[in-house]
Amino acid sequence: MDAIYENYTVTEDGRALLKKAENDQVETVWDRHKAQQPHCGYCETGLSCRNCIMGPCRVDPFGEGPQQGVCGADADIIVARNLARMIAAGAASHSDHGRDLVEVLLKVAEGRAPGYSIKEPGKLRSVATEYGLAVDGKDDLTLAGELADAMQEDYGTRKSSVTLLARAPEKRRAVWEKAGIIPRGIDRETSEAMHRTHMGVDNDWVSILLHAMRNALSDGWGGSMIATEVSDILFGIPQPNKSTANIGVLQEDKVNIVVHGHNPVVSETVVAACNAPKLLKLAEEKGASGINLVGVCCTGNELMMRHGLPMAGNHLMTELVLVTGAVEMMIVDYQCIMPSIGQTAACYHTKMISTSEKAKFPGMEHHEFSPENAYEKAQELVKAAVDNYSRRNKNRVAIPAIQPQEVVSGLSVEAVINALGGTPDPLIEAIKAGKIRGAVGVVGCNNPKIKHDYGHTHLTSQLIANDILVLDTGCVSVAHAKAGFKTLDALEQAGPGLKEVCGALGIPPVLHVGSCVDNVRILVLVAALANTLGCDISDLPVAGSAPEWYSEKAATIGCYFVASGVFTHLGPMPPVTGSMNVVKLLTAGLEDVVGATFAVEADPQKASRILIGHIEKKRKALGLDSREA
Amino acid sequence: MEYVILGNGIAGVCAAETIRQLDGGGGITMVADETFTPYSRPMISMVLAGQVASDQLPIRSSSFYEDLQITAVLGNRVSEIDVDQKRVMIHSGPALHFDKLLIATGADPRPIKAEGMNLKNIFFMRTEAHIRNMLAAIPQTKKALVLGGGLVGFKAAYGLLQRGLDVTMLITSDYPLSMQVDATAGRLILDELRDYGLKVRVGISVEAFDGNGSVTGAHLSDGTRTSCDLVVVGKGVLPALSFVPRDKIDIDLGILVNEQMETSTAGIFAAGDVAECVDISRKTRWVNAIWPEAATQGRIAGINMAGRQVSYKGSLSRNVLRILNLDVMTMGLVNPPETPEYEVICAGEPRRRTYRKLVFRKNILTGAVLINAIEQGGIFMGLIQNEIPLNVPNSVLSQPSFNVKQLMI
Amino acid sequence: MKQVVVHPERCVGCMQCMAACAVAHSQTKQMHTAIMEAPLPKPRVHVGVGLYGEGFPNRCRHCNPAPCMPACLSGAIFRDTETATVLINPDTCINCASCAMACPYGVIRFHEDWVAPPGKTIAAKCDNCDERRAKGLIPACVEVCKSGALTYEEMAAAMKKKTDEIARSVSAAAMEESHVPAGLALLAAAKKAQLATYDH
Repeated sequence: MDAIYENYTVTEDGRALLKKAENDQVETVWDRHKAQQPHCGYCETGLSCRNCIMGPCRVDPFGEGPQQGVCGADADIIVARNLARMIAAGAASHSDHGRDLVEVLLKVAEGRAPGYSIKEPGKLRSVATEYGLAVDGKDDLTLAGELADAMQEDYGTRKSSVTLLARAPEKRRAVWEKAGIIPRGIDRETSEAMHRTHMGVDNDWVSILLHAMRNALSDGWGGSMIATEVSDILFGIPQPNKSTANIGVLQEDKVNIVVHGHNPVVSETVVAACNAPKLLKLAEEKGASGINLVGVCCTGNELMMRHGLPMAGNHLMTELVLVTGAVEMMIVDYQCIMPSIGQTAACYHTKMISTSEKAKFPGMEHHEFSPENAYEKAQELVKAAVDNYSRRNKNRVAIPAIQPQEVVSGLSVEAVINALGGTPDPLIEAIKAGKIRGAVGVVGCNNPKIKHDYGHTHLTSQLIANDILVLDTGCVSVAHAKAGFKTLDALEQAGPGLKEVCGALGIPPVLHVGSCVDNVRILVLVAALANTLGCDISDLPVAGSAPEWYSEKAATIGCYFVASGVFTHLGPMPPVTGSMNVVKLLTAGLEDVVGATFAVEADPQKASRILIGHIEKKRKALGLDSREA
Repeated sequence: MEYVILGNGIAGVCAAETIRQLDGGGGITMVADETFTPYSRPMISMVLAGQVASDQLPIRSSSFYEDLQITAVLGNRVSEIDVDQKRVMIHSGPALHFDKLLIATGADPRPIKAEGMNLKNIFFMRTEAHIRNMLAAIPQTKKALVLGGGLVGFKAAYGLLQRGLDVTMLITSDYPLSMQVDATAGRLILDELRDYGLKVRVGISVEAFDGNGSVTGAHLSDGTRTSCDLVVVGKGVLPALSFVPRDKIDIDLGILVNEQMETSTAGIFAAGDVAECVDISRKTRWVNAIWPEAATQGRIAGINMAGRQVSYKGSLSRNVLRILNLDVMTMGLVNPPETPEYEVICAGEPRRRTYRKLVFRKNILTGAVLINAIEQGGIFMGLIQNEIPLNVPNSVLSQPSFNVKQLMI
Repeated sequence: MKQVVVHPERCVGCMQCMAACAVAHSQTKQMHTAIMEAPLPKPRVHVGVGLYGEGFPNRCRHCNPAPCMPACLSGAIFRDTETATVLINPDTCINCASCAMACPYGVIRFHEDWVAPPGKTIAAKCDNCDERRAKGLIPACVEVCKSGALTYEEMAAAMKKKTDEIARSVSAAAMEESHVPAGLALLAAAKKAQLATYDH
């Protein structure tokens, strides 16, 4: 019998688990997506507005029904306001993540965060220097406190520019100055975005979108960048390591614990707890041969980057991981955690734990983590997970018999520079020589609108075959990992130039750069390249791509990439087609403002041609050899 | 013009109405066995089950014949047709002369070869009289046996269960409704019935009944004996055509008719359960003894009899059952031969207990089984009946989201 | 006589017609109380999804002759002599679904309804809002549709408009421009491409 669901994903483990979900009568995100069809066209086009209760309003895209909301906002304004709010929400999410890390840094400085420590004093000092702090003669903890203070200033109202913006090339900062979009404060830009989009404030659609770009920049060079740097300081700069990915990382004879969400503030404590000797001993007493911690989504990425922890799946796999029936506990913090997974877990013995007061879910037990109690709480939870092992219903356990795929991870900017021998020069030479044509950051989420992981893997296979180095983050990194792109074997699929250079350096053609906040590592890298070459980021033969994005955060990331001069491709269409003015600005007009634009193309084959064409075009403009698309 | 219609089932009734619409002055005479006002035969099983009262059975008013100026000769069966003289002989009463004759005498329950068939409380289930008699007998009985897993047997078993009897269904095939559904659907239905408390035994039949005046037990094909005090035999129907002169009017299982519902003798038509025309999906002659066919065929025959020529491409088997927690809709060729000519697409969501089996000849739908989610079934009917070549992939019809929009390109 | 005319190319899938239809067939006739009624009122128009994610408001066409009428086993389906609307009598309906099996458009649904005896599931379909029209109102679905997918007009007038549209569209200049707003064409193409990823 043809199964309707077997076509949903390109991944073998995904298909096997979809089958089990069907048999176990467990509803999935794809079922709910189907039930939503057809999506409302007003919302898809961005032409519905719920900002005030003179409404809710719609604009008729066919030109006959109402053409303005009750307040008089036309299609351009409504679409722009909606987009600005999406970007504000995305920026707020990443920035809050950064804020929580800064608070832990502060508590570490105050000695009130048992278990947390400064793992990278070197980075602490270099970042502190960037913040204009005197570092000589100061001990780590004092410096940590001062840095935390200074970073908190970046969140507020007092500054005229977020500090780490200085990392961007001078030419880039000049572009922002000219456009009037220097991000002043992290919370400030988000707050102002909400203000501007209130009824009766900013009603110039260009003005709204310029601020949205500023808001995105306050995330990219602000909140997210702080998040990544502080995470490195507290938990270690990722170094190249070997790990594994796909559902095969779950082990039937062990206590399986999955961490989901984003902030390593929580997941790092669980790593420690899973290594606690007394808990390992308890596991043995319960008949398990150990405790197996794996990650999904961004927090999984953080742990893989730093500890080589295996990853079980990405966004659309989060329910399916539970469907194995082999997970004793899933511990979540915030972001991208579907509220459905509590009910998925209820079909099995899995305990679901929420840890953040900001993020509560149906069907989850809440155990509030704070810097003061985190490591201790983690131990309590892991013990509960071990106790839960005996409640496993053996009749409902089936981990697809798929070999875990080997993955090379941990390519922070520091690690990449290290691999290059200490400077970005070898990479620049390789690009100049044309052996590596350029680089694309393939990033972002999954979305049931696109066949799961097909958008990512098909695009990347085309890019590396055309000698383009790929860097990945977020859910894409799991897609790539499962497809085997992040092993040295994958060099066989790379074009001759890429194969040669990566082979010589001992790195795969696709580099795992981290979680979604770690997209800033790509910003740091391209800024470093541009600074070395004395050009702007927009001159570089680089691009970004989010082939299967879904979230507001992704919209913000795309926006800060474009605002930073990186041409960015999107798979799924954002809700902007209700205003051709907005569409034209995003896909063409922004070239004159920030030197980069967006392109939308769901077909990864066509998208690869667009990206390759863009890279060759940039090469030509730099006076390098270029190929005809 | 003298029109004579043999039979007052829905075929005869629709033919009479159509003729009267087109010919205000012609004489219409209807000869029929049953004296009850024209009624909905499929509803009798609902009377048995207690879902409707018997006074809801009539499907035309009690003044139906008067209103349409029809001469009704009721309580009478046909004994002979004199084709050359254009006369119909009936059991009691003068012969009837006709210019145009419609044979719509329906079908009678198929008898089984078993001893003891004449014992009391062994019933067929075809007429409202059968149901009346059954209902009278039920209070004195406890254990019922239903022979046959087809539509009649199925509905009889369900109805008797509703009346509180202990019911066992004996079927010769592996699953009920084997003429209508495939093995997958059949198993689903079997499970549903058993869950509800019906005992079903497959691959078995009855050789003889025993009893003293009334039936008390049945001897089965596996050598065992089972006690019972009420039996319903639902082993199909046979077209009622004993009176048809075979040398003048071609017959097979039923009376053979052409696209105008006319028999091999001009001026003599047949419609309904007694008629045999080409089955659109089977592409061969077949008797589809179902209500909607009889209604349509009667109407077509009436139009042609009244002098306007219309063609009827052919009949199509179809059925919808809503029993317990299951909806089952079937149509056309459900169990095609396993040749490359046919494409079969099965799709289901076990979680929602939905199942769809679609049979195609190239890109033309020719058969379908739907378990639950039956609302779109009529679209399939239209595609099968009109043999419409699809301009979308066949698999589109199997998706749960299928609706008529997806055919509009 | 005016009737509801469907313009499929205008449907944006917002489902306002479904909501308005259900409310119009509720007891209290107001959205915020209708959703609290038992049984819950149900729409008689159904927005289906096309092959490319587009919407389509599917309603009874009140065919003449109507295939559902002769198919009905209990004779519950009849035609109103004044309005030519095909209606189902909830008291004589036996919930057998023979009508659904005959309807070439798949517009009949089965549910409990306040117009039916309590606890009885019946066949329900569009009733042309005859009750509303008798009060001088227009059909509920048309009243709420903002995109012009459902209109209330004489069929002859609607056909004339369409004929004129087609006549204009075959002029050389008109053939150059698209009749679909640019943004919608872009969205439709994007949705097609998104769905096409499932073909691989």
